[in-house]
Amino acid sequence: MIRQKVNKLTRRENIIAFLFILPPIIGFCIFTIGAMAFSFIYSFQKYNILTGESTWLGWQNYKDLFTHILYSKSFYTSIVNTLVLLLSIPLSMILGLSLAGLLRMGNIKGAKVFQVLYYLPAVSSAVAMNIVWRYIFNNEFGIINLIIGKKIPWLSDDTLIKVAIIIKNSLNGMGTAMILYLAGMLSVPKDYYEASELDGAGKVKQFFSITLPLITPITFYLLITGLIGGLQSYADSQIFGAGVQGSQTIVYFIWARGINQSRYGLASAASVLLAVVIMIVTLIQFKLSDKWVYEE
Amino acid sequence: MENVKQINTDAARKGLHIASRVLIYLVLILGAFVLMFPYIWMLLTSFKDDYEAMSLTLVLFPKHWIFSNYKEIWTIVPLLRGVGNTFIVEVSVIVVGTFVSSMAAFSFAKLKLRHKNFWLLFLMSGMMVPYAALMMPQFRAFMALNMFDTLWPLILPGLFGNISMMFFLIQYMRGISNAFFEAAKIDGAGYMRMFVSVMLPMVKTALAAQIIFWFIGIWNDYFAPAIYLKSYESMTLQPMMARINSDNSGGTNLPLIMAGAVLSSIPMFVIYITCQKYFIESLAISGVKG
Repeated sequence: MIRQKVNKLTRRENIIAFLFILPPIIGFCIFTIGAMAFSFIYSFQKYNILTGESTWLGWQNYKDLFTHILYSKSFYTSIVNTLVLLLSIPLSMILGLSLAGLLRMGNIKGAKVFQVLYYLPAVSSAVAMNIVWRYIFNNEFGIINLIIGKKIPWLSDDTLIKVAIIIKNSLNGMGTAMILYLAGMLSVPKDYYEASELDGAGKVKQFFSITLPLITPITFYLLITGLIGGLQSYADSQIFGAGVQGSQTIVYFIWARGINQSRYGLASAASVLLAVVIMIVTLIQFKLSDKWVYEE
Repeated sequence: MENVKQINTDAARKGLHIASRVLIYLVLILGAFVLMFPYIWMLLTSFKDDYEAMSLTLVLFPKHWIFSNYKEIWTIVPLLRGVGNTFIVEVSVIVVGTFVSSMAAFSFAKLKLRHKNFWLLFLMSGMMVPYAALMMPQFRAFMALNMFDTLWPLILPGLFGNISMMFFLIQYMRGISNAFFEAAKIDGAGYMRMFVSVMLPMVKTALAAQIIFWFIGIWNDYFAPAIYLKSYESMTLQPMMARINSDNSGGTNLPLIMAGAVLSSIPMFVIYITCQKYFIESLAISGVKG
């Protein structure tokens, strides 16, 4: 009798608990799983802009990405661009690590102020920032060229524009890295350093043999989030690069073909490949993390 | 003799220490200046006139401070409309989405739910999927529903909650003692009552922090709004700024664009500075805990 009542109550709780999580599940099924499934289907179809009809194509869209005269070149370029631009991740990590080291070493009083200032670009609008940076790098009247005294074609040269984006993103990303590394350094137990001091280890040796290994989880976290964000970069091509070939990323390619030219099939094929790469990256890094990330 | 030597090296070390501390401060201040420069430059340029902004010699400060850019920007583009549209998205998404996310978090954290781990992993797996891979089908669906160039494509997905907010709240809610909910149960409170009048008041601060992050995220959102919004009437702030910029790619009206960028950054600036503690702390936690 009592057990039956308890069972009934548990079942009631189960049902209500499920109803509580139902809205996110519905949203996820529609906007993520449903959309992903359709991307997959589109990638095997050809969409006719004039009639609005779709016909089955098989693997042709995927082949076109790599071989078609009109698209393969810009697809390859977008892959190379995206990969080159990822360079800003290690650079911002090195800058952030050095800054955090300085804050820690100097036991700086105004550390909070520096943290707030250095993190500002991360919460700023990408549009506003890109507009200003574009002005700063302007070929004719940008302040960088005015100071150097040469007209370096930052915004029109296919290589220099990548250099400009890397410089900009390394600076803007170093605050995040700094705050995370500093938090990591502060969580290293003091007695580790005291013990190694007794062994006669200097500051430099301490940094490489104690601090650096102990903060690998943060290096790892920054790599994952940086990589996942970097592979999806778009505003840099659209606003900073104004669509210049040398700044086009994979997501820009997908946008330009899919949304702008209604070549849904081709763009979907590229987006499915991107999704697969991002998923693989996430999974591989999770696997690797067991081995080289220090955890207690 | 030994003692004197000891004192000497101590003094030397201390001297070096002060020198190196000064050096460290200098490097940090230099770095901060480099990072602040775009903001300073944005502000200074917004007070210049076109010629000065595009001058081929370096002009740091405007010769004549011009304030009219801040007046003109409101009439050249419907900036007020942009602010209004942004707020429509902000309010509808945050009010409904926060309720939905925190209700789901409450269920995950405190209620008996069958296959709980499965559902949690199920929802979390979505965080690996890039938006670009969802964009085309969503775009075509919203086109078919006649929602192109309206705010609906930005509002509808948000109404179903925000997974990262939910995940953060689950962690937070798990730390709250079960005793409160058992007591409420004995008093005859239903699960909805438990959530609204027991759980929500206890997670106020965590909720506030998450709402602030979400607010800034929506405020700065550019990709989806740029895809769906084509006319100035329906545009939110960010695509509007991008449009002004690309329409003036020749560089004319630069000070005007900078005035717009300054104005559109002010709310985010104020929120960030007043709530900086939340931002820095939650970032630090996210990395240290993984």
